[in-house]
Amino acid sequence: MDLANTSSQEGEPKGGVLAHLERLEARSRKKFEEPQGTPAAESALRSKILQLRRLRDQLRAAVERHGARVEASAEPDQALQDSEQALERKREDVKAILQAYRFTGLSGKLTSRGVCVCIQTAFQGNLLDSYFVDLVIQKPLRIHHHSVPVFIPLEEIAAKSLQTDLRHFLFSLCEHLNAYAGRKYQADRLQSDFAAFLAGPLQRNALCNLLSFTYKAEPGGQAFPFCARLLYKDLTVTLPTDVSVTYEGTDTPSPSWEEQRASHEHLLRTKPLHHVFAAFARGEERLELRLAY
Amino acid sequence: MCIISFSTYDNPLRKSFPEICQSDPKEWKSSKDLRSNLGHLESELLFLSTLTDINIISYSKKTKNLTSTEMTEKSIKKVLQRHKLSGNCHMITFQVEFQILEVQNQENLSSVITDLNIIMEPTAYSELSEFVSRAEERRDLFMFFRSLHFFVEWCEYRKRTFKHFKEKYPEAVHLLEGASSSYMGIQSTSQPGFELVIVWRIQVDEEGKVLPKLDLLTKVPQQALELDKKGVIETAPLSFRTLLGVLGIEVAVESLIRLLCIEENH
Repeated sequence: MDLANTSSQEGEPKGGVLAHLERLEARSRKKFEEPQGTPAAESALRSKILQLRRLRDQLRAAVERHGARVEASAEPDQALQDSEQALERKREDVKAILQAYRFTGLSGKLTSRGVCVCIQTAFQGNLLDSYFVDLVIQKPLRIHHHSVPVFIPLEEIAAKSLQTDLRHFLFSLCEHLNAYAGRKYQADRLQSDFAAFLAGPLQRNALCNLLSFTYKAEPGGQAFPFCARLLYKDLTVTLPTDVSVTYEGTDTPSPSWEEQRASHEHLLRTKPLHHVFAAFARGEERLELRLAY
Repeated sequence: MCIISFSTYDNPLRKSFPEICQSDPKEWKSSKDLRSNLGHLESELLFLSTLTDINIISYSKKTKNLTSTEMTEKSIKKVLQRHKLSGNCHMITFQVEFQILEVQNQENLSSVITDLNIIMEPTAYSELSEFVSRAEERRDLFMFFRSLHFFVEWCEYRKRTFKHFKEKYPEAVHLLEGASSSYMGIQSTSQPGFELVIVWRIQVDEEGKVLPKLDLLTKVPQQALELDKKGVIETAPLSFRTLLGVLGIEVAVESLIRLLCIEENH
């Protein structure tokens, strides 16, 4: 361009520009007519062309996409972004609340077949095992599989309310499982923390509703052994329904032993097992004692 | 989430790609996907709230790591979680705050609720306030929810039963404090001096078990008492309890109403 202008202004080598162009034209014609070089160079060039074309296509696509995004984030799509953000926030909230249901003791997830319910157990603030029941939503409602221990009367509970009142069935199962977990916890704690008080092994059944053991109120002390038998007839309770404490010594029991025996019976009936022994450990056996939870 | 990878070619748009690649992946999820995921989660939530009869409205959680360097050496991890949730179970709203201490060592994980605070409305249900303090004392969160569920279930059943009798015997049955109260009065229209009051309390025992407790109160004119040689009035409350055991609540109450309103046979 500059060349042309200068030429016209100075009025001199107009021919110079034209000649230049003519020379270029001649050269290109020559190149076109002449062979392009070795075949190797040719194929190299061809592959380069392909690569460049591919690159060009990719760039074009990217530009289109980027352009579309730029367009989208213009005007009222501020609203779209905001609503997306709001949706995202809502999603996080809902997810959090779903998590929170664990703390009611009963939670679950929808499955392709129906629902999988998770029952969490605890005893006095100690979180214990959880169990699941996988239900198939059909008529009749069916338990596909579960992790409820075999000695829990699942079939009985199901027969009573599974078909008529699902909620009642689940809460009833909750009661049974929590009670079992509580009884087991107490028995485990007695065995592990207060073994020194036991004169023999703790006898227990799988359901932990029948416990029998011989103990002394003082570990390895002079006290005579008592034999305790705890029966939890109601499977939804963690305190025994029947307690019998008998004197195991060979001598005739003195009145003080009788008093002790009666007080122990009362304690075992009203307080959790391991708390009773914790009281013994503190040297407290009296009836009037209020144990702190 | 980079879409294009360049190796050797210099490209003027390269600078802007890292920006796009690093943008929040959630923004790339289409609005439609987000909506359908949210829909699924919401239906799960609806299912859980229907299943448990407990409606959780808000929940928040804060975690504090209490692991000391000494503990880390022994591969022990100690974490304190602070949870806050609020919601309602029918007419009763609750706000629960609790702390869970989680200790993880090589063998096992122990989770213990170390603090529990429960606020409930309405406080009108006096039976509940005692139960709430017991739950707080024992830090038994699950027992609280379980018993709350059963308590509300019994309350609803009591309300339905009272309402049913009021509708069936509108003249004879009186609900002075409404269907949500624990009292139902039965009065004979022909003998206005006689009145029976059924007191239906719902109690939560030491273990968190919810049990109905029904009693009968009698109001009888002095004259009638004098004529009552067999002492029927005196033994009425006891007989009622026996009747309850044999016939169940609804039938026992209905038979009482019929007894008092012989002329209003339906």
